[in-house]
Amino acid sequence: MDTVNYVGLWTVVKREIIRTLKVINQVIWPPIITTLLYVFIFGVAIGSRIQSVQGVTYAQFLIPGLIMLQVIDASYGETSSSIFQGRFMNSIQELLIAPLSATEIVAGFVLGSLARALAIAGIITVLGFILVHTLPQNWLLYAGVLVVVCVLFSALGIIFGLMAEKFDHLAVLTTFIITPLVFVGGVFTAATMLPPFLRNLELFNPIFYTIDAFRASYTGQSYLPIGVSLAAIGALALIALGTALRMVATGYKLRA
Amino acid sequence: MTLANPAIAIDGLYKRYGELTAVDGISLRVEAGDFFGFLGPNGAGKTTTIGAIVGLLRKTAGSIQIFGYDIDRQWRVARRLVGLAPQEFNFDRYLSIRDVLLFQAGYFGLRPRVVCRRVDELLERFDLTAKAHVEYTKISGGQKRRLMLARALIHEPKLLILDEPTAGVDVELRLELWEMLRVLNAQGITIFLTTHYLEEAEALCRNIAIVRGGKIVAQQSTQGLLDGHRETTLAVRLDRPIRELPATPVLRGARFEVGDTLVQVDGLTASQVASALAALEAAGFIVEAVDFKRATLQDVFLELTRS
Repeated sequence: MDTVNYVGLWTVVKREIIRTLKVINQVIWPPIITTLLYVFIFGVAIGSRIQSVQGVTYAQFLIPGLIMLQVIDASYGETSSSIFQGRFMNSIQELLIAPLSATEIVAGFVLGSLARALAIAGIITVLGFILVHTLPQNWLLYAGVLVVVCVLFSALGIIFGLMAEKFDHLAVLTTFIITPLVFVGGVFTAATMLPPFLRNLELFNPIFYTIDAFRASYTGQSYLPIGVSLAAIGALALIALGTALRMVATGYKLRA
Repeated sequence: MTLANPAIAIDGLYKRYGELTAVDGISLRVEAGDFFGFLGPNGAGKTTTIGAIVGLLRKTAGSIQIFGYDIDRQWRVARRLVGLAPQEFNFDRYLSIRDVLLFQAGYFGLRPRVVCRRVDELLERFDLTAKAHVEYTKISGGQKRRLMLARALIHEPKLLILDEPTAGVDVELRLELWEMLRVLNAQGITIFLTTHYLEEAEALCRNIAIVRGGKIVAQQSTQGLLDGHRETTLAVRLDRPIRELPATPVLRGARFEVGDTLVQVDGLTASQVASALAALEAAGFIVEAVDFKRATLQDVFLELTRS
């Protein structure tokens, strides 16, 4: 018999994409509209008074940060709500009784999440080109960081989707940890704009590494060596992925 | 798959939740092709046992084989052989009725183009074609029950596990589902059924296990269970009001009200029934009507599960 249930894995991915399309007004258009507002208010209106940052206009500087902001949110939100809803409605039992391994289930959710994140990133990238005439200079770095960040946050979404006892718990991580870390992690500011104390504090913020590396795909400049940032994000992604896999494999809050 | 192997072989199954033992050392064999009833009161361990068979829970101890395949070591093959219709509706709310079947097939490794025809056949067979493109929240309870069965069958399992398949459905649909299950069993699918409707088990199942407190308290053929409890209740309508009954041992314990014409006697064997009627006639009564109530599976069940 086959060792990997590829059809099953693809079916999980397809199901996640269908779910995204069914709630498109909740998960695709809002981040796009929010991004447009950030670009117009911070980038164009206020940013016109700011001198160039990392060799580009402030509006152009904002775009990669905003992409990261929405990709992180989308990746975490997709898997955490899907897993939690599946547990809440018991529909996840359809997967649990099927010949699907923990790796296939986790991969299906992560790839489904990646599809949503890439769609959002793609739309914002196009809007960035149309509105403020910026495009990535290094597409490989652009795609690489996107994928690793998506894996990291979709794995975190699986972990919290499994741990949560009610929907409210899912918001705890976003409200109290992810959103603050993203906002202070360099979406709106370059590290060089910060006083030395805050600049050093940023090194303890994992989101800072993701935005710094991703922005380098646009501007070609980064505060930290790109290899260091990629290693840090990659390590975190592996730890999160390993934890999510372990939880699904042992049936944590899935199999009584 | 080897047909010589039993469809289900459970050996020493235990499931404990902290101090609570939900399944307490169950061992069970269900032969291939059987229609097997797994009965017990609420909390007896039926759904827990099913959960262990299909991999929805982690066993504390014991082994389970499906047609000879161990559910832990050969889980992929074992799961492909089982179709489950759980007690509670657990459909994916984002999918249409047709997609519920297509996606379930996909999870089992079947490509849509391979399974498309089977999906349409099942929709037709379970009278769901008209609802194929609506979400499950928009169909009736009876249609949801039929969809559960269709979904359990989509990957052509050899063993169908049904946890209360007719809960909450009207009599007409229940009879319709019974007929569907009989046909499936006649086609060679082994059926493992739990139900609270004991007449359902009596009508459908060839073999039965009764479980109480996580242990099996009886396991034999349905007929064997009933034959072991052949006692009959005799109800006799007499020609005139009863003042007193003849003092014969067979009528000891007879129930009647003075002035009424009805007398009932419980727990009689066939020969005692004849003796009772003879005693009544000897006492001058004319028997106008006789009715017998034979022990049903419900009587057997209550006797075995009452603490």
